[in-house]
Amino acid sequence: MDREKIRNFCIIAHIDHGKSTLADRFLEITETVPRQKMADQYLDRMELERERGITIKAQAVRMEWSPGPGETYRLNLIDTPGHVDFSYEVSRSLAACEGAVLLVDAAQGVEAQTVGNAYLAVEAGLAVIPVVNKIDLPAADVEGTAMELADLLGVDPAEVTGVSAKTGEGVEALLRRIVEEVPPPGGDPQLPLRALVFDSSYDTYRGVVAFIRVVEGKVGRGDRVLFMASGTRAEVDEVGYFSPDMTSCRELEAGDVGYIITGIKDVSRIKVGDTVTGHDRPAAEPLPGYREPKPMVFAGIYPVDSDDFQELEDALQKLKLNDASLTFARENSKALGFGFRCGFLGLLHMEIVQERLEREYGLNLVITAPNVVYEVEKRNGEVVYINNPSDLPDMAVVREIREPYVQATILLPPDYVGPVLELVKERRGIYQDMAYLSGRRVELRCRLPLAEMVVDFYDQLKSRSRGYASLDYEHLGFLPGDLVKLDILIHGEPVDALSSIVERGRAHEHGKRVVSRLRELIPRQLFDVPVQAAVGSRVVARETIKARRKDVLAKCYGGDVTRKKKLLEKQKEGKKRMKMVGKVEIPQEAFISALRVGREEKAR
Amino acid sequence: MRLYIHWPFCLRRCAYCDFTARTAHPRLMRAYASALRKELEIRAGEPGRKGGLRSLYLGGGTPSTLSGREVGELVSLVGRLYGYRREAEISVEVNPATWREEDFREAFLAGVKRVSIGAQSFDDRCLRRLGRLHDSVEVRRAAREARRAGIPSLSLDLLYGLPPGWGGDLRRDLERALELQPQHLSLYALTVYPGTPLGKAIGRGEVLPPDEDAAAEEYLEAVEFLEGQGYLHYEISNFCLPGHECQHNLAYWRREEYLGVGAAAHSLWRGRRLRNRESVLGYIRDLGKGRLPVVEERRLEGAEVREERVMLGLRTSRGVPHRLLGACPKAEEMECLGLLRRERGRVALTARGMLLSNAVIVELLCA
Repeated sequence: MDREKIRNFCIIAHIDHGKSTLADRFLEITETVPRQKMADQYLDRMELERERGITIKAQAVRMEWSPGPGETYRLNLIDTPGHVDFSYEVSRSLAACEGAVLLVDAAQGVEAQTVGNAYLAVEAGLAVIPVVNKIDLPAADVEGTAMELADLLGVDPAEVTGVSAKTGEGVEALLRRIVEEVPPPGGDPQLPLRALVFDSSYDTYRGVVAFIRVVEGKVGRGDRVLFMASGTRAEVDEVGYFSPDMTSCRELEAGDVGYIITGIKDVSRIKVGDTVTGHDRPAAEPLPGYREPKPMVFAGIYPVDSDDFQELEDALQKLKLNDASLTFARENSKALGFGFRCGFLGLLHMEIVQERLEREYGLNLVITAPNVVYEVEKRNGEVVYINNPSDLPDMAVVREIREPYVQATILLPPDYVGPVLELVKERRGIYQDMAYLSGRRVELRCRLPLAEMVVDFYDQLKSRSRGYASLDYEHLGFLPGDLVKLDILIHGEPVDALSSIVERGRAHEHGKRVVSRLRELIPRQLFDVPVQAAVGSRVVARETIKARRKDVLAKCYGGDVTRKKKLLEKQKEGKKRMKMVGKVEIPQEAFISALRVGREEKAR
Repeated sequence: MRLYIHWPFCLRRCAYCDFTARTAHPRLMRAYASALRKELEIRAGEPGRKGGLRSLYLGGGTPSTLSGREVGELVSLVGRLYGYRREAEISVEVNPATWREEDFREAFLAGVKRVSIGAQSFDDRCLRRLGRLHDSVEVRRAAREARRAGIPSLSLDLLYGLPPGWGGDLRRDLERALELQPQHLSLYALTVYPGTPLGKAIGRGEVLPPDEDAAAEEYLEAVEFLEGQGYLHYEISNFCLPGHECQHNLAYWRREEYLGVGAAAHSLWRGRRLRNRESVLGYIRDLGKGRLPVVEERRLEGAEVREERVMLGLRTSRGVPHRLLGACPKAEEMECLGLLRRERGRVALTARGMLLSNAVIVELLCA
């Protein structure tokens, strides 16, 4: 097809603002999917995505559309993930497009992530089409939202298109705008191949499917290619596009969006953001913008039943096939047994992985409180990265601990600025500035330690703003902090899974909370059990679980013997399920609850 | 040979009771009594029943829902079927709301030598809340009448660890109990079972659950007090003047053989544990057809016998021979914690250890 007739675009929208519904209308209008086969939200394929109404894996779909007789356009819709944890993926998706539809719910207004992603699109030089969705809703403030969008992009409110993705109203007009305003792709098909991998998925039989946007040159079946960042070489088994199912074709050339299959089975060899070039005639430079996915949030994942360890490992390996940003390494906790330290892009990513492990693999899991990665500089100048608090070196050899910070942007109605600033302060945030967006929304910028964000910052933000505030963030790098390792000792034994890294000034308060919860959670033993929180050798909080006094079957005569034996068997069974910390028996549930406390209250 | 007869009927179920007990309808009781006679006859014809009974224990339920005369008849029937040894101990559990002096006399004349009176408390408010049908005056009356009728050994049951706010006081109850000069006392910690009226009331928050630490305090104080009064603490819950141990119950803890008849009765016989059907109706029907009502019979293996020995033996102040525990590292730990004591090749629980016997036994058996 004539490249002049190709339009590559994406939709930028906040969760629930109707991106998938709009995509469905596109598929319908262009007759890419017959109406009777149209499952709601065709692009969100995973069950979990459907349930949460969010897109995790980007998809790319090719549609053919004729706005009038004699002219047919090829529209490539590249779906983008809708959550802040996946901002790198978003940036790669944007890099594969020439245009973006900026979709905002008329009842909700502009949200922080939309702003962030909209400016990413502007910065990437994309044609941005502002669209207000849900104009059919009675609660819709179409005019106000259009004003906001206009302010955001510096355009006239009249340039904002109103649609109802649900009813289809305005959607054809939007398609027309896309054809008119999104420029056709450039790029010379005669140059050496350069194609951007903007996503990948895993097929059990065929291996990794790399989603690509060909920027220059062309790629066809049988070509030998090189992935420039990973150095992977392979031969192309198949090229094709999605319509929306995989459809093979002879070749893809500059401007096209599609996929290639090379038979490579290992997702880590084909990375999002990498550049595909020809093996025999390689490009001089890769495309810009490649970054190694760097997990920022870590947590221990353990099977509740230690017999499930192997199953957990298999499940993680399978998940990893489709999710190169997930990392995991075996770890052994005294309290929880064998498990894995897993790295995630962010909290949502972690929740998704946890949920998929539990739902798709039927695993019963214990997840430790999430923590961030710390940069630790030792006195001898060596710098190490710590993703498990219990690995922190002895403070005597530590010169400085640095923790990751984020640049956070919070969008909220002016009424809630007070409580939200309060929250930022509680979470060791550094306020930077504030700007009014169209008079009914304030943009608040601050720096926050990521550690404070991974606990329940987002929930708190929502609750203190009655759900109106929205959040976007990007990583800033490591900044020094006055941090210490807080150990929890039960009967003098440190419990690795409960260690945390906290700000020195809060060690006492945090320790007190964990210790007093543990006192409630740990059953009384045959002896007094001290529970302590300690920074180094200094105890900052202490409680004592008093020895149990009474556990006796008052009567045990002839007929009671059998009953007593059953009771004894039950007690023996229960004892086997106990986790031992030194001589103290602790039911696993107590650990689970304690870890939950850590997660909910850590920074409160 | 020792014989236990279970009488599962009560006048009314107590608020805390989850025992197999039915309220007594006279016709059902009659049918049950005749089934009981049938089982006694069948069992008496089995091999190994010779030699006469060393003890008979009539328990329940409330066996004193039978009159003294009826109990006497039962005791005589057992005597005809099994015979008694000269020193045989014959015990009956009695609810203070049931028997008069006349009943005690009839029972005594038939051979009953020991009655165990379910006093539970000397506080009338507590008695009401426990759902007992008698007050403290009746407890005193029953004890005095039993004594006057000639019963040589009197035991009183008391409950401790009552819900906070009920005004339960074991020490005060013991002082009142001692005024009646019992030869034997049983102190039972109130156990709350979920399905009972008390359990439900606690579940609904109407009654506070018993305070375990307070109960432990009461118990330890009681042990000290009774020992000061010359009573021997011979089992976790049982105290007696020298020579008045309940021989029948001691046999359970020593794993001697016994035969239990009646609904839900258990037996230990020739290395097997047997269990009778719980349903009174089923029991009556089985024996009506001349069938034994046994629903479970299990031969015990060596390891299980050892476990039983430890679990039962440690209930008594004599404890168990040290070799029964083998080289148990936990024993030493328990000793250091003051829960176990070792003497002349035997191991026994201390008073504090008795309060924690479930946990200690599990520790010892798991090691």
